[in-house]
Amino acid sequence: MGKEKIKINPEFYDIMPVEYQELVEEGTYGKEDRGWKDVGESKELIEEHSLCAGCPESIAFRYVLACLPAPEDTIMVGSTGCTSLVFPHVAVHNIHSLFGNQNAVASGLKRALSYRFPDKVKDVVVLAGDGATVDIGLDMTLQSWFRQEKFTTICFDNELYANTGGQSSGLMQKGFVAKMAPAGKKFDKVNLPEIAKVSGCHYVAKMTVSKPNRVEKAIRQAILIAREVGPTYIQLYTPCILEIGKQMMEGLQEMRDSEGPNKRFEFEEYISEEAKAYLETIDPKKKKKKAITA
Amino acid sequence: MYAVAEVIDDLCVANKGCRLCIMYCPEANTIMFNKENRVAEVVEQRCKGCELCVVVCSSAKHNAITLVHR
Repeated sequence: MGKEKIKINPEFYDIMPVEYQELVEEGTYGKEDRGWKDVGESKELIEEHSLCAGCPESIAFRYVLACLPAPEDTIMVGSTGCTSLVFPHVAVHNIHSLFGNQNAVASGLKRALSYRFPDKVKDVVVLAGDGATVDIGLDMTLQSWFRQEKFTTICFDNELYANTGGQSSGLMQKGFVAKMAPAGKKFDKVNLPEIAKVSGCHYVAKMTVSKPNRVEKAIRQAILIAREVGPTYIQLYTPCILEIGKQMMEGLQEMRDSEGPNKRFEFEEYISEEAKAYLETIDPKKKKKKAITA
Repeated sequence: MYAVAEVIDDLCVANKGCRLCIMYCPEANTIMFNKENRVAEVVEQRCKGCELCVVVCSSAKHNAITLVHR
């Protein structure tokens, strides 16, 4: 498909915004091996977002958008929060619905797309904050996994409600005191990756966004598995530097500190047997090896 | 007055494959790789001056990015 959908009529080329012209000329739609390495040398699918200076969530957004395997056939479903401020600046189809509804909307969307485009691969990616995924939308999130809906859920975990001033969320660590949670969190951080495993997710990963190649691998695998096998879940730590009292240049160090051994965001990955078998069939290197041995 | 990042071309090692500032910049399309000069360059209109590129560049001991006031 590539850029067919977005190319500009030559008559109107000069009146289109410069950013759109750049997107058509240098965007990475239709490129087979998209990845974070394209960043800096081609036009990214996100432009002039309104997040704070130095926000780690925007780093995560850049990686996620750079790593989508087929952005022109991807539809992202967002939810309320800081992430919803970015979606108007993103060059991928996206839907915004009520707070917490994102997985329910994505379920319907995926089914509708499979009826409307039976011969095409359409990816649906849910991208929401921890409040939408774990607190307000937990019902929808879990039910979509129980039903084995084939789409990817990405959770940007900043451990509180950052957009409204720092209220405590289900994913906040125990004892943490935030601006609008002065008594401290009373119970443990909800272990959603474990819940996802037992709820039927075929790929579960928990990490920070301090290593772009790791994020790229996880997102590609999650979306490829979601195409054929079943639901997948990725939890990315994107700390809110404002609400945890850090300076704007300290976000990266905060992520590196919290992914060490036995820390709460130590890298974890789970791939179900079914998904492993599927990944082997689509891995080009292994395919060649099999052909040689056979 | 705004603080924006500026790359010192002589110290930048992007031609050796370093992409640290490009990777970790939170803003999209802001630090770009200049294919002619083989160095990183900052698009000043988009820079929010968060200093993250200065931190990653100086922690790798290249010290090729500074903040300047415009």
